[in-house]
Amino acid sequence: MELSIITIVLLTLYVGIGVIDQISIQAGPYTPLFAAAVTGLLLNDLPTGLVIGATLQLMTLGVATYGGATVPDFLSGAIMGTAFAILSGNGAEYGIGLAVPIGLLLTQLDVLGRMTNTFFQHRADRFADQGNVRGVEISNVLGAIPWMLSRMIPVFVGLYYGDAVVQTINSVIPVWFMTGLRAAGSILPAMGMAILMRYLPLKKYYPYYIIGFVMMAYGSSIFSILSVALVGLALAVIHVNQKNQVQTDGLMMAHQDEEVEIDG
Amino acid sequence: MGNTSVKITKSDLNKVFIRNLFGLQLAWNYEKMQGLGYCYVILPVLKKLYGHDPEKMKRALKTHLGFFNTTPAMSHLIIGADIAIEEEIGIESEQVVTGIKTGLMGPFAGVGDTLFIAIYRAVVFSIAAYLALDGQAVGLLIPLLAVAAVIFIRYKFTHFGYNQGKKLATGFANRISLITEGASILGLAVVGGLIPSVIRYNLNLTFTFGEVSLSIQEMLNRIMPGMVPLSIVALSYWLLGKKKMNSTRLIMVLIGLGMVLGNLQTMVDWFVALFA
Repeated sequence: MELSIITIVLLTLYVGIGVIDQISIQAGPYTPLFAAAVTGLLLNDLPTGLVIGATLQLMTLGVATYGGATVPDFLSGAIMGTAFAILSGNGAEYGIGLAVPIGLLLTQLDVLGRMTNTFFQHRADRFADQGNVRGVEISNVLGAIPWMLSRMIPVFVGLYYGDAVVQTINSVIPVWFMTGLRAAGSILPAMGMAILMRYLPLKKYYPYYIIGFVMMAYGSSIFSILSVALVGLALAVIHVNQKNQVQTDGLMMAHQDEEVEIDG
Repeated sequence: MGNTSVKITKSDLNKVFIRNLFGLQLAWNYEKMQGLGYCYVILPVLKKLYGHDPEKMKRALKTHLGFFNTTPAMSHLIIGADIAIEEEIGIESEQVVTGIKTGLMGPFAGVGDTLFIAIYRAVVFSIAAYLALDGQAVGLLIPLLAVAAVIFIRYKFTHFGYNQGKKLATGFANRISLITEGASILGLAVVGGLIPSVIRYNLNLTFTFGEVSLSIQEMLNRIMPGMVPLSIVALSYWLLGKKKMNSTRLIMVLIGLGMVLGNLQTMVDWFVALFA
């Protein structure tokens, strides 16, 4: 199986839209989940795309660009990993194993894109000195170009020369390595969980974490993750209500105290 | 003095809101981060207030091109407040505006990153991924529905920020901290539930002694289901607390661990054969 040039162009356009989604409303196309699913759809193998996307998504749940930090480009990685997995017929785990190093490798291009945009900032500063409003506006819009190119170029080049790369990989890589890669693919979501746990107040609210874990570890035949979310929501509302109550009670008591003093 | 003659209308605010959604981070750069984006977002208002006066315009452009960085969803509040002050005081508000921008962007990012990025992703995208893992593409609709709610909140933030003006910082901070606590509880429950359901690794390890074979995974299941995923997460959590550990290095560690776990049976067989 080979990639048609139309598919390559479509995926290249997709990654361009994806990165704009990432820096604007974050609706979904920027995530590895959507990227892998769309790639799977275009290559007539949606199930493989979904599994690769879901696993990468869970792995990167906690990896977000807080404060503009650069993170591995798993958007582009997901597209290439999924395409190569389907082309070679090696299965989803292979795609995950491939997407991760590709994403890591492309980290540098994100840095390059953000550095290039400094040029537009300087340009806008100069336009501001001249009072050129239009110039400032255009400089900002042009900033989209480095973002898009830093994703579109590697995806296009990677997919274009992909066949040759995939064949080489298949003939060179030993079986134990592939087995290991599969196991790695299935445990990598642990990272996403761990980063989230670092970010959330685990030490303060760990009981809720235990509740979620027990529901799914012991009751996975009855419960789904949506039911855990609903129970979590219920507990959250109870917590907030109780805390609100305590605050209002506290205020009331303070108020009564005041009245007593006034009366006295 | 003030620009009493010029009033900011709802449609001005809506223009700012749309620019804020799509334009804030287009030119994100290492020097002033969202600085250029911020200026771009507020420009419709600046044009209305100072469009007739080139000197004032130059000053306003310079003020608003300064360093800025916060959670995009929270930026609406700051920009809304900035507009209110600008409308009230005029160009002399430079210092107040810069003070509010720099003063609020940090604390707002702290809350916003937890609420709109960490917890949002933990809940919305993990449920979508969980469904996708079972081959249900319909899960992809969940983030698309959720983002509509976020966009609505961001719309409200623009108008709320504008209405609150300078009062913004205090009253809002109290309420949002309680919301963050509740959201954290929800997020933690979901993360706890995700661990046994999405880390689908089974210890495929069997010891065979003559007729009897012993499956390690079955043994572990009797102690506690989901023990292996939990241990791997606990290890990752602990490692992330180490000074020199970051997500990229953790990926390397987990790939290494996967290499060992994936070939465990082979390794054990080889080891047993050595002594047999």
